Order: sequence, then structure tokens, then C-alpha cells
Amino acid sequence: MSLTLGRTALKRTIVVAAVALLTAAGCTPSPSEKPVASPGVEPSGTVEFWHFFTDREAKAIDTVIADFKAKYPKVNVVVKSGQDDTKMLQAIGAGQGPDVGLSYSTDAAGQLCNSSAWIDLKQYVDRDKVDVNKFPETVRNYTEFKGKRCAMPFLADTYGLYYNKTLLAEAGLSGPPKTLTELSDMAKKLTKRKADGTIERAGFLPLSSFYENVPSHLYPMVGAKWLNDDGTSAVGSDPAWKELLKWQKDLVDWYGYDKLEKFRASLGDEWSADNAFHKGQVAMMVDGEFRIAYLRDQAKDVQFGTAPLPMSDSQSSRYGAGYVTGNIMGVSRTAKNPEAAWALVRYLSTDTGAIVKLANLIKNVPTTTEALANPGDLATDPEFKVFIDMFQNPNSVHMPSTAIGPALEETMSKFMQKWQSGSATDLDAGLKGVDEEINKQLQLAG
Amino acid sequence: MTALTHDSASGGPPRPRGGGVLGRDDLTAPAPRRPRRRTRTEVLLFVARHSIAIALSLMFLAPVVFLVLTSFMTSDQSLTSNLWPASWHPENYADVFTRTPMAKYLLNTAVYAVLATLFMLLSSVPAAYALAKLRWRGRNLTFVAIVCMMMLPPQVTTVPLYLMWANWGLTGSLWPLILPMLLGDAFSIFLLRQFLVTIPDEYLDAARVDGCGEWRALLRVVLPMARPGIAAAAMFQFFYAWNDYYGPLLYTSENESAWTLSLGLASFRSLHAVQWNLLTAATLLTMVPIMLVFFFAQKAFVQGVTLTGVKG
Amino acid sequence: MAITTVGAPGTTPGAPPARRSAPRWWRARERLTVLSFMAPALIGLALFLVYPLLASVYFSFTKFDLINPPQWVGLRNWTFLLHDPNVRTAATNTLWLVVVMVPARMLGALGTGLLLARSRRGAGIYRTLFYLPALAPPVAATLAFVFLFKPGTGPVNSLLAHVGIEGPLWFNSPQWAKPSLVLLALWGIGDLMIIFLAALLDVPKQLYEAASLDGANAWQQFRAVTLPAISPVLLFAAVTGVIQTLQYFTQAAVAASVASGQATTGGGISSTFGYPENSTFTYPLWLYVVGFRYGALGYANVLAVVLFVVAITVTAILLRRFRTFLGSER
Repeated sequence: MSLTLGRTALKRTIVVAAVALLTAAGCTPSPSEKPVASPGVEPSGTVEFWHFFTDREAKAIDTVIADFKAKYPKVNVVVKSGQDDTKMLQAIGAGQGPDVGLSYSTDAAGQLCNSSAWIDLKQYVDRDKVDVNKFPETVRNYTEFKGKRCAMPFLADTYGLYYNKTLLAEAGLSGPPKTLTELSDMAKKLTKRKADGTIERAGFLPLSSFYENVPSHLYPMVGAKWLNDDGTSAVGSDPAWKELLKWQKDLVDWYGYDKLEKFRASLGDEWSADNAFHKGQVAMMVDGEFRIAYLRDQAKDVQFGTAPLPMSDSQSSRYGAGYVTGNIMGVSRTAKNPEAAWALVRYLSTDTGAIVKLANLIKNVPTTTEALANPGDLATDPEFKVFIDMFQNPNSVHMPSTAIGPALEETMSKFMQKWQSGSATDLDAGLKGVDEEINKQLQLAG
Repeated sequence: MTALTHDSASGGPPRPRGGGVLGRDDLTAPAPRRPRRRTRTEVLLFVARHSIAIALSLMFLAPVVFLVLTSFMTSDQSLTSNLWPASWHPENYADVFTRTPMAKYLLNTAVYAVLATLFMLLSSVPAAYALAKLRWRGRNLTFVAIVCMMMLPPQVTTVPLYLMWANWGLTGSLWPLILPMLLGDAFSIFLLRQFLVTIPDEYLDAARVDGCGEWRALLRVVLPMARPGIAAAAMFQFFYAWNDYYGPLLYTSENESAWTLSLGLASFRSLHAVQWNLLTAATLLTMVPIMLVFFFAQKAFVQGVTLTGVKG
Repeated sequence: MAITTVGAPGTTPGAPPARRSAPRWWRARERLTVLSFMAPALIGLALFLVYPLLASVYFSFTKFDLINPPQWVGLRNWTFLLHDPNVRTAATNTLWLVVVMVPARMLGALGTGLLLARSRRGAGIYRTLFYLPALAPPVAATLAFVFLFKPGTGPVNSLLAHVGIEGPLWFNSPQWAKPSLVLLALWGIGDLMIIFLAALLDVPKQLYEAASLDGANAWQQFRAVTLPAISPVLLFAAVTGVIQTLQYFTQAAVAASVASGQATTGGGISSTFGYPENSTFTYPLWLYVVGFRYGALGYANVLAVVLFVVAITVTAILLRRFRTFLGSER
């Protein structure tokens, strides 16, 4: 068997390869500078809008989009639901993707802006004299990246504590916990085990893999820091993280990790009617304000209350705060029709009527001061009021956006899995490891 | 792969080409030559073998049985540790179709699998013929390249190929997975070549002497004789496309209307909050078409697996 | 490119092809004939093998996020490889699977193959039953297994509880997740079993008879007769098994996503890869995450090139085998 190529064949191969390489290198769509139209021009054409909502919430989006179409009859909006950031980035990179994209989390802003997958909206904002100061400061911050306004707020989510009033009353407890110590004590009182020791009901399920228990929703309870001022990871040096993880591990160990994980794996899906809180299998949990709508839709019998996140004992003065995150919108660099895309973004982020309507439909927190001041029926809903107050609480926090997007939280989340199960025992070394990993990824994304 | 089973160690007389495993109807051992009286040990061995075989059969079957049972439960019950449905709900199967775009996924999967198979045959049969029956310079090198390509993990070429298809505006559809089949599929070429080399040259020579060109020799002589090999290759390709997850995930994930069953199935939980009873029903619905194809073409398939057994 | 018909007596493999003293136009015609057969496949090789490999190498020296044009950064991605803790985890997991899953599948397939080769009655039914699971689409099979092995309420642990055993957490435990994937792989050994079975039935009966006349017991017969006779098939299965395991993606991705029970809304399926505790985080998963989730395609190509080198090394073993086998064929 001869393995040598003929000389001509070799030359030919090299030429083919070189041509191929050049094609590849030049194949990414080059950024096209689309001129901004003069003010007052009526937008027209088709806009593709991608969002991540599904089912009931997706239907709510559709009604607001219908309002938009009524207002701008020349614009046609094609909606694709159930998308995610990975797909969106990938599609934009492929030169396709949406004209307007909706991301579920603020930490994606960094990635989307840094890579300029979303265009800088400054010229449109300036032309149409949109006052960004009507967004609360937090919102203003998380829709910018390094001074670039490449995103607009859609609605916001605020995370607090849900508790089952019936179960609390049965256990002789009067109100929600305000500190982590109280949370642990109450969790223990509310927990019910079967004769063989397996868990039947958890007062509070502290595993980081449970529903919404991701690190970002828990860290406000200890006031921990993600990044230092120089942009490097602060996880290994901020003692608050240790406090959070120790508290979490203590509670996990009280249940027994194996028992708890078995219990968790037997629970229904978070977004289905079988959600463990709906079924009374957990008595308290951390979740976003949107859960209210799910509970009223799918579990009408559950008597629930809402409260701000409990704080660690040293942070008790910050009680009232929660975790804030927003859905953010942007116009893709591949948008075929940026004018119409901007019209949609502008409508959804600044039209008070649209914001209030949607906020009421899917029970999310509105993101302009006007809408917050006058949020329609949401204002008279005591359970929801808690979240609006949390949202406006100056101590509430949101994830910093970085060029590595979700990697920041995912790295921490993976360490928490190791820590809670007991396979990582050295907390300091573990957190230092998280630091190192985050810093390296930040470096790579540059 | 028949070629691989030839081994110098066997030392026996060379078997007739096309014989051996392929010629056999069934893969069971030939009957003993003459009846003998069974000894006690033999009876014990017989019992032992069959007990193990039956136990194994149960283990292979059990997962499917549990799936079937769960697919008839209520959503509530599917979350408990009960094994038997308290009440039977065949409507779960209808629910799968109404609550998820299962029908659409099924159609996409069928289009992908059928087109990929047809295209593969069009391009790969001639190539396999040239590799097996024509002698030309660079043939061995080409064959080595084909083997390399066959062994190449798809992840290696993912990024450049994705960019290429993106450049052509075809991402978001299944075309990046179907169109390459027009340019030959390495595994199928390999498989078909292995089969074609077992066809005796005398038949071809006869056709060539008649004045037929090589193409006519392929169409008139080889195709009819290679039907089992072609059937096996076609079926492998069909199954591969049907079961593929990585390809559709990479190319169609942002466009749900192009999703295949595998991709849809993996996303049912997060997209449609589908519960275990429906999920198990959908899982079974995904398996069934494949099993049906298998039952109708079991013989050709078993031959094919035997012939190579690379992807399977 | 000269055509001669194959099988001409006396042609030794590897020797230069026999050239007939045919007129030039005839040789050109022959060349065209070959080209008419091979053209699509040759274009395919150039487009889907040669080009992506070269492009991968080029991209591995660039910073590239799919959005902006690639930027040359020299060895930066390659040095990152040395300090990337995730690649260590991922490679270790993949290696674990290669070392455990491949032999487990081969032993299982050989065992069932031997069993079927010996039993006459009912072999057809057993064969079908053992084979069927191999047909199940990987996503479906993985879903099924995660459901069966659910720690609290799954049928497996329920049955174990009936006999007084407290089952492990299976797919939810970092220690058990990979073994659970091995069980899943064992469920689908049917394809391998069929190959081994065919090879076993091809072993000439006379050899066994001769061996038993020499007084060899069953184990000695297996060592002296069966194993040598089927060793080429075993080698082939081992090599393809390793290659398949190097690209292990679907099962790990789906098992992690389902076992984690976390909704991936907005984050995509890749946000749960590796659950629990990165124990199912394989090399191809990391490649996918780096490239398409974190948008670091330059580094993803470093990972791709490394994977290619490993795969080609393993394939080389097979190719060496093919050399003799190409030769002995005609």
C-alpha cells in the first residue's frame, strides 16, 4: 500500500486547502453599518423576535405583540418562543438569528455586548430622545456593558422567599424567617419524615440544584461579592461566600445529603403543575415573583405568603432586599430591518401601557419608574407588592455582567454541587479554585 | 467484515466467496451431526445456559416494560414509586401529540432519514464499486482517507463545517446533515466496499467482455448481486439519521420547526413541562418506528451488522 | 490512474499497478471512468475531511467568537489548554469511560455471544431480545434509564428496596453517574454481540474437535482456539469502541439534563452538562460548551485538533491491521 502522494497531487491539495482556508477566514458576515433613518420615519417590514417564554407566558407575549402590530400596522412581527441564549448567539454568528432577541438574564448582557452580537443602540436612543433615566438605576446598569447601551430592559424578575401559610400554621410558626438562622430552625420544624427516615416534606430544600437555588439567587442573603473592582473574581477572598456555603452545608447535613437528593429527584418538574411547592412537598423556597401567577393558575388551594430573602445575622440590616435580574432585549447585528427592530424594542421597553399590561399578565416586575409607580392591579396584590418593594430596595443586587456570560455563575454552581455533597471538603481551596477558573475564562474571552 | 473473519489461524480450506455468515439464513449453530445420548453434565449445562439466557432476556426487556407501564399512568402516579398503573390512561399517547409538536418532529425525522439514505446510496455505491473493483493509482490512499473519515469524531470538524453551512445560509435546517450525503458517506462506502469485494470478479469480467462499460457492469451485474449489502448500508444510514442527536442539536436548535424526534424528546421537559407519563409515552413512540423497520428487515440488518459493525 | 481489473493472478499488493500498453486516449478514458465513480466521494473528502482539518488548525491560533472575524493570537489558546481545569476533568471522564465502558461492552457482548453460540434451541428469540435495545435511539434510551434509575421513586430502587437494599443515587451521584452510563451502554450491546456471534460461529468446528481430543477443557479451548480465531474482530471492536467513546456526547448530555431536574429555560441544554458535579462532563461536551455557549471558537478548535490527534492515533492501530488485510484479500 503506497501512502505517498504524487507530487502534483500534493501541490494540488495544498492549493485547494489554501483556497478553502481563505474562504473560511473571510466567511463571517462583516459588520454592516446601516444608516439610521431621520426621526419620524414610520418603520415597516418584518421583524423576527425570539424569546424564551413558553406556554401561558408565551401567549401573554403574543397579546402585547398584537398591540404593537395595531400601533405599527406596517411592521410584521414573527415570534419564536422557547429560545435560549446559546442558540441566539449561535444563530447570530451564523448570520441568521432574530432581529430582536430577548435574553433571560442580565449576566448575558456582557457576552452579547462584548462580542457586539447586539448593536449599540445609542444612535437610536439619541435620535428618538428616549430618556434612559426613567429606568431605575439598577436597570440602567444591567442593560449597559462598559458604557455601551446595547440592551434595553424588558421586564424584571425579583427573587424572594415563598412560604406555605397552612404548613407554617400547623407547625405553630407565625411568619416568614428573617435571618438564615431562623430559616434553618423553621426548615427543621417544618420537615416531615417517614418512618424509614426518608423525607416526605422538606421545610426548605437547600440543595443548589433544586429549582431556583442557583448561587445568584442565594448570594444576596450574605451580601457576597462576585468580582473585585479590577474585574477579577472575588469569590475566593470574600468571606461572605464561606458563610453562605457553610450555612447551606449545615442544613444539607441535617437532612443527610443522600436522603435529600433522593427526595429532590422524586419531585415534579419546576414548571409543571407538579411543582413541589404547589404540592406542599416543600414549605418554603426561594423563587421569583412569576411564581405567583403559576400558583394562582395551577394550585389555587395553596395558601402562600411572600417575603424578602432572609439575611445572614451579620447582614440583618439589609433585610428587605432581594435578588434582581432582568430580561434584556437587543437588536442583533444581523438584523435585516434594524429600524423596525428598534421600534419593537422601544415599544416593549418604554411604552408604559405595554409594560403594565405584560407585567400584569405574567406577573413580572415592570422596569420604568412610571410603570412602577402605577403598576395597575399589581399594586393592590399584597403578595406581589413584596416583590415591587424588594425591586426598589437599594440593597437589592444583580449579577455583574461579564464577557463570559453564564460561565461566572456556572463555575460557582459546579463547586456548590461538590461542596454540598461532601466530595469537596476544603472550602478555602475550593473557592480559590473557582477564582482561578473564572479568572482564566475572563482572560480567554478578553 | 467477512474479510476480517478470514484468518490465517483458521488454516482450513478457503471458503467460497459470498458464503460463510452471509450465506447462512440464521446465526444459530448448525445441528449436531449425529444424535448422541445426553450426559448428565450436558443436561445441567443446557439448563444453566437457558436460565442465564432467560434471566438476561428479562433484564433486556425490563426497561421497556417499565416504560410501557409508566406511559399509561396519571402524571401524579408517575412521580411515585408505584410500578403498576392504578388506572390506565391510553389517552396519554394522544396527549403527547396535542401538547407537543411530536407529529412535526416525526415528519422532520422521516424526511431527514429518508433523504439522507437515498442520497447516500446515489453517491456511495459507485464510490464503493470503484474502491472494490477498479484498480487505479491512489486507490489505497483514498481508502485510507475514507477509513480516517469514518473514524473521525464529528466534534473535530464541527466548527469549520458549521461556519461553512452558516456561510451558505443553511443553518437552522436539516440540510447541512442531508446534503453531504450526496458527496458520499465514509461509513457507507466502507461497508459497501467490504461487501462488493466478496462478489467474484468472473461475473464482472463477463459483463465487461460483453462490451458493457463499468457503469453498466455496476448496474446490471453488481447491483442485483449486492442487494443485501445495499439494504444493510441503507438501513444503517436510516437508523443513524433517525437516532442522530448531535447533528440536529448543532444545526437546528434555534429553529424548532426543523427539530427531529431526538432533539424534541430531549427538550420536552424544559419546553413543554411534560411529565413522566407523557415523556415515557413519547420515548416509546420514538423507539417504535425503528423497531418496526427492524422486524421487517431483520435478516438484512443482522447481515449488515455482521459485515462490519462499526457504527451499529 | 490506470485501471486494471482486480484479481489478475500474480498481482502483488502494494506493487505498482500493472500498466498495459494501451493507447493514451484509452488511458484517459479509463481515468474518466474512475472519476465518474469517485468524483462525489472525492469532493466529499476534500470538503468534509481535508478542509475542516486545515481550518481547525488555523482557527486554533485565533480568537474567534463566531460574531467577529478571527483574530490571530498565536499560541494563546494552546497555552490556555495547559491551564484549563475543565479540560482536565473532561479528559479524565472520557478516559474513564474508555477504560471501563469499552471493555465492559466487549466482555458483555462476548459473554452473550458465547452463550448464544452454544445454545441451539431458542437462540433466535434470545438473539432478537438481546439485540433490540441496541436499536433504541440514544436520547430515548437515556431518558428511559434516568427514569428507571431515579433515586427515590424509580423502579430499580423500588425493586431493590423490596429485597431490603437501599439503592444508590445512580445518575444523581458523582460516584455512580458514570457506572450508570456503563449500564446504559451494556443494555445496548446487541450490535457488538451480533458481530462476535458471527465470528464465533465462523471458528471451524474441527479445531474444537481436535482440541478436545487433546484433552483441552472448556477454558483451554477458549484460550487456544476461540480467542486467536476471533482476535481480529476483537481488535476491530476495541478500536471502534474507543473511537465511539471519544465522541461520547448524547447520553452524557441527556442524562445530566434529565437527572439534574433543572429547567433549562433560557439557558439551553448545555447549562446542565456534567451534572452531578461534572462527573458526566466528557471531552466533547466541553468542546461544545466552549465553542457554542461561551463563544470561544478559537479554543474549541484547539480541543478539536487534540481530539483529532488522539483519534487518528487510535485509528492508526486499525490501519496497520488493514494493511495486512488489504493485502491478504486478493
